[in-house]
Amino acid sequence: MALLLSRTAERLYWAARYLERAEDTSRMVLAFGELFDDLPPARSGILGDGRWTALLAVFGNGVTEHDTLSENDVAQRLIVDPDRPGSVASSVGLARENLRTTRELLPRAAWRAVNDLSLFVNDEVGRAADRRFRGRVLRRVVDDSRRLDGILTSSMTRDDAWEVWRLGRYLERADMTTRVVGVRAAALMAQDPDEIAYDEVHGMGVLRSLSALQMYQRATRGPIEASQVVKFLLFSDDFPRSVLFCLSEIDRCLERLTDPEPVRHAVVEARSALLSTMAVADDGADLDDAMDWVQSLLAKVHHATTDRYLSIGG
Amino acid sequence: MDELFDDDGAPRPAARPLHEFLERLGPDELAARQRATELDILTMGITFTVYSDGENIDRAWPFDVIPRVISGREWDGVVAGLQQRLVAINRFIDDLYHDQKIVADGVFPADLLAESVNFRPECVGVDPKYGAWAHISGSDLVRDDDGTMYVLEDNLRVPSGVSYVIENRAVTKRAFPELFEGERIRPVDTYTDELDRLLTSLAPDGVDDPQVAVLTPGIYNSAYFEHSFLAQRMGAELVEGGDLMVASDDCVYMHTTRGRQRVHVIYRRVDDLFLDPEVFRADSMLGVPGLMRAWKAGNVGIANAPGAGVADDKCVYAWVPDIIRYYLGEEPLIANVPTYRCMYDDEREYVLDHLDELVMKPANESGGYGITIGNRATEEELAACAKEILDDPRNWVAQPILSLSTVPTLVPDHDPPPVEERDGDPLPVLRARHVDLRPFILTGADSYVSDGGLTRVALEEGSLIVNSSQGGGSKDTWIVDDPAHPSAPTPAESTQSQRID
Repeated sequence: MALLLSRTAERLYWAARYLERAEDTSRMVLAFGELFDDLPPARSGILGDGRWTALLAVFGNGVTEHDTLSENDVAQRLIVDPDRPGSVASSVGLARENLRTTRELLPRAAWRAVNDLSLFVNDEVGRAADRRFRGRVLRRVVDDSRRLDGILTSSMTRDDAWEVWRLGRYLERADMTTRVVGVRAAALMAQDPDEIAYDEVHGMGVLRSLSALQMYQRATRGPIEASQVVKFLLFSDDFPRSVLFCLSEIDRCLERLTDPEPVRHAVVEARSALLSTMAVADDGADLDDAMDWVQSLLAKVHHATTDRYLSIGG
Repeated sequence: MDELFDDDGAPRPAARPLHEFLERLGPDELAARQRATELDILTMGITFTVYSDGENIDRAWPFDVIPRVISGREWDGVVAGLQQRLVAINRFIDDLYHDQKIVADGVFPADLLAESVNFRPECVGVDPKYGAWAHISGSDLVRDDDGTMYVLEDNLRVPSGVSYVIENRAVTKRAFPELFEGERIRPVDTYTDELDRLLTSLAPDGVDDPQVAVLTPGIYNSAYFEHSFLAQRMGAELVEGGDLMVASDDCVYMHTTRGRQRVHVIYRRVDDLFLDPEVFRADSMLGVPGLMRAWKAGNVGIANAPGAGVADDKCVYAWVPDIIRYYLGEEPLIANVPTYRCMYDDEREYVLDHLDELVMKPANESGGYGITIGNRATEEELAACAKEILDDPRNWVAQPILSLSTVPTLVPDHDPPPVEERDGDPLPVLRARHVDLRPFILTGADSYVSDGGLTRVALEEGSLIVNSSQGGGSKDTWIVDDPAHPSAPTPAESTQSQRID
């Protein structure tokens, strides 16, 4: 079994998280952009658009109640600004930097895919503030992130490096899904009565932002209904972006790593917390709080992982 | 002289197919292929790192698509010369750390050894396997006007560049696939297998499946790309000092997700003064406390061995021909550049009288730093150099100004045709630019020389500074066998030809 240095493991783990973050953020901005096109014009007037501002809240991105930002401002913050933590440009750059310094571990094509994406983003991301060009940039990020998954799945040895990579991916994904569910679905269930007609459109947006629309429809074969959407995204056993599924995968990664008990303990806690939120899945405001709680337990999984595998003396 | 063309402008025999091909290609297509290689280098992430470059630490590797061509028959002579040279140098280092017979016999001056800043008393009496100390060396070769190939310097500490040899070839194959189909160009990427074999052979006796680690100063080091590349190619771990520790059993371990794991061989790319803060510089953050203990106990192999740098000194260089004669009883097969040693009164006086005809080099600098080229320096620079020589004569040597050979190189056209006579941007033009060559020599139980090496090119007209840290570029190097006159030994056999001890 090939060995994995703790320090290298840490870089790989962060590369996986940043790439997943870049992919998820890109998909979300794409999906909500399309959603807003289908909704009636924003209430907040000519300059600002409350809906775009609300999108920022998903990322916990330092918005105050009073801020009303234009679509362009939000795009700048979520995509273009390389100095803003969590922006697509920053996440892709950090994924590249972490892979640059771990490339001896991965199939060569993996490094090339990320390096290529990073070069593209450096050159083109400035144009993503422009709505007409945005789709091209964001779809490329989503596609390349998945291309990398494909390269690794088909050509990487199932060693510790592989498990650490998957662990980073699934933890970031679980976190992102709780954020979308918390903020968007809460808003969806607590919406203005005059937007009620758009319930289904909203639900579709949430599902699309998580690549979940088609699979939701196949699984439920029913109408798109807010609490069903929430349950699917949190508790589906077999949809690979649901929080429960992500936690199961994390547990499976841990099974193959050495002495995982402290981390598995944190996973068990996160999982039971998640399942206990089933009771509030129909209530918007409570759901938002419940998701914050789950997120804090996911953070504990992260800390346990760091202590056990990603630091010297772990 | 030019490497590809003779004095009448006709292509040399080994370069004939390349020349015909380039003629057929035409300037537009050639420019397109150069651009394609640059893009290739960018997307493959072939980079080197520049220290003083602010935030942009990672730069695309500068590359020129026109290869340098050397005939296989000539190269086989160079290989024999380099093998001989490194075998003798290793015997010399081993002698210095043991009986110092060469000093006792009056061949190598005692005071030079006494003043050497690269002699490590901590290494006295250590017996590395095969008596080999400088396992990996990158000797710089230059060719003078008369066609003689000289060794300009022996880099025995942490020579870099071999990853670019392999990458340059990969890029060139994509640029000129047609040529590789028809010609017998010796492959270069077996180097990493040879290196792996050498490193594995340095493991403590009785270890079946040794764990090899490449020790890098870290991700900001200028050669980090290479450290990563070599680790990747050899399946070795790429480690930093903090990843390693020496336990109470005097063995080296690395911290992994599976706990501490033993390391048997370290290919160190860290200068030896930084290797072990217990023994050398106490402030080093790059090394591993106790590493020297582990090495002396025979629990870990280190390449290059600590202390090997004693023979990598521009003063010692001047004695290499004597060193070869002394240990091997043979005449050197490859030439040394005549070298004036400023420590001797008569040689120093000659240097001070002929500053404008010589290159003055500080003994312990590398990367082209601190060099004064006599015929290009101002009066003030020469005066300053003379003062430095007088202040510390031991630290200075001088050599005649060699007129380095050239290879045609694509450069921007400074005098392009008017806009109305061309189609789009001006095309680059082919101009002669000076080159050197750094082959890599492996010395352990056997010795091996890379087929070709790193050709570096000074991109400015007339410039002799080829270092990539100072704006130099690089080229692929082709060792071409003539199908009618295949070289005598096959490459596989020639790697086994010399033994030390």
